[in-house]
Amino acid sequence: MVVECRDVSRTYDDDAVPVHALRGVDFQLAAGEWVSLAGPSGSGKSTLLHVIGGLDQPTTGSVVVDGVEVTALSAAQLSDLRLDKIGFVFQSYNLIPVLSALENVEFILQLQGVDRAERRSRSREALHSLGLSDLENRRPGEMSGGQQQRVAIARAIVTEPVLLLADEPSANLDTSTTRELLEVLQSLNRERGVTILTATHDPMVMGYTTRQVNLRDGNVVGDNA
Amino acid sequence: MNRARRMPVKLLMQLSWRNIWRHRRRNAILLSAIAIAVTGVTLLNMMMRGMQQDMMNTAIENLTGHVKILAPGYRDDPGIERGFEVVEGWQTALPGGVQGWAKRIRVPAVVMSERETRGIQLLGVDPVRESISFLGDATVDGERLAGPGDSRLLVGGLLTEALDTAPGRRLVLVTQGADGRTREAGFRIAGVYRAEIAGLEKAFVFTGLEALQQLLGTDKITEISIRLDHEDLEAPTIAGLTGSVENLDVLSWRELEPQAASMVEISDMAIYILFVIVMGALVFGLVNTLVTAVMERLRELGMLRAIGMRPRVVVAQVVVESSIIMAIGVATGLMLAAAMFAFVADGIDLTAFDDSLASFGMRPTFVPVFDIRDVVLVVVLSLALSVLASFYPARRAVKIKPLDALRR
Ligand SMILES: Nc1ncnc2c1ncn2[C@@H]1O[C@H](COP(=O)(O)OP(=O)(O)OP(=O)(O)O)[C@@H](O)[C@H]1O
Ligand SMILES: [Mg+2]
Repeated sequence: MVVECRDVSRTYDDDAVPVHALRGVDFQLAAGEWVSLAGPSGSGKSTLLHVIGGLDQPTTGSVVVDGVEVTALSAAQLSDLRLDKIGFVFQSYNLIPVLSALENVEFILQLQGVDRAERRSRSREALHSLGLSDLENRRPGEMSGGQQQRVAIARAIVTEPVLLLADEPSANLDTSTTRELLEVLQSLNRERGVTILTATHDPMVMGYTTRQVNLRDGNVVGDNA
Repeated sequence: MNRARRMPVKLLMQLSWRNIWRHRRRNAILLSAIAIAVTGVTLLNMMMRGMQQDMMNTAIENLTGHVKILAPGYRDDPGIERGFEVVEGWQTALPGGVQGWAKRIRVPAVVMSERETRGIQLLGVDPVRESISFLGDATVDGERLAGPGDSRLLVGGLLTEALDTAPGRRLVLVTQGADGRTREAGFRIAGVYRAEIAGLEKAFVFTGLEALQQLLGTDKITEISIRLDHEDLEAPTIAGLTGSVENLDVLSWRELEPQAASMVEISDMAIYILFVIVMGALVFGLVNTLVTAVMERLRELGMLRAIGMRPRVVVAQVVVESSIIMAIGVATGLMLAAAMFAFVADGIDLTAFDDSLASFGMRPTFVPVFDIRDVVLVVVLSLALSVLASFYPARRAVKIKPLDALRR
């Protein structure tokens, strides 16, 4: 199992009324799967994604990613977990505006301390696999939204993470760009065996995934392969 | 995954540099402010160091020297009865770096012309040795003293006017001999000297050392003045002499000219206060700009942390960014200051303010002094301040959780 969540709850109690974003979620994700989290707005999709990605800590319960109990990690260890084991694609604002596409992808390898030559070739290859070879010197401001998301995916997979997390990756994209993006993810999943977890409202996504998990009010209400 | 990670220094430099260019207008303004402030501070420092040097030189050349040997009690009650003899070879106790020394007699005296009478200090000197004092450079109408045996007088210009006399004429000097009895003798004026500090011309009348000893009936002297190559040699010189010339006072110019010494100290303080004020103002500007820059980039910084950039790397990036701006600003400022220094390095003519400057013991022209220690202070302190100043905004950037930063 790449991910094992047991009885995970997350309660926000900064406000007067506590908000139960997750209420005892049990969830497992096997290597090679592409699971889509579905559910209405506020059902807890993003929260679950963040908890699994080590960006948020559950109030109770246990989250094990690639054999590591995430809830026991320090801030710096969580940083390293995110850097080494997880690839993130956010809804928007994914890239560093002052760096070119190639540099954005290289960036994460630089954080890992990979040396220059290896960095270059791996980054070029990642961009190539996403059909971005011609755009490697463009900065984010000089690319379309779909191209930027593909660069973000290239950056997320260049480290060969055990898990790719994408929260509404298509929210800002039109239908045809979304389709291209989903096809890219599908080929990563099928051909490279990348394990993917996405959260989305978009019914189009469901057609591509290997499994769909439905959330409602912080509970898993359906799980169909 | 716990493997120790080195700071990705190159990455930090690259990111910082690009970010600086992204906001080039804002950073150009900040950079100019730093450069102008550094130029101003550096130039002012050089001028103040110049004035300071001038005050010191004046005090030292005013027959003081860096170090002086006197008999105890001479300062309160000067006279030949406080004379002393030094053993042969006393100067072997001097460490290296001595520019020169001069033995003198200095006694109070009254000088009379046909028309006027004035109180003065009468000095018996060896003219060759006086290259260490203002007398060495002074212009002289008429003749200089020929040697220690010369019994003619060298009189200041202002005193000559007051006495209504001229080279070649005679003056009568009255002073006390070694036996306590009054001596009165006529002297011919060899020449009239001009001093840069006009006050000296009224105070000092010179004659040959041996000639004066003869008049006073003594073999003694009342002072030895020692000029050093550099002020820093003062302490070792005093230490070296104190043991070897027993029963005599070995004094620094600071003790002999306390007013000038405290002026020098005050100007030292003024330099540092000025520096702190200017740099303090700059730091406020820097912090302000950095807070703005960090707040604008909060989402980006949140994303960087979300994908695995450690908090201290984020902090380091902000610190590097501000340090680069500061370093470029300081370098530009120093280069500007150096360029401007070249224009004034030969000296600034302040003749127009002559009178008021003289009261501070300064000469009408002064030369700015470049002190490498001041430059090092500017560089080190400004970089240290920029690091300290950028910590606050950088900490703000990492205090907020990456998710909260991303959500903005
Ligand atoms: N930082 C927070 N502070 C307080 N409440 C929060 C916070 N983040 C999320 N919530 C609440 O937790 C619940 C779950 O939110 P979450 O973002 O996980 O939903 P979601 O399924 O991703 O919704 P959407 O489809 O709109 O993205 C919501 O009720 C939300 O208001
Ligand atoms: Mg969401």
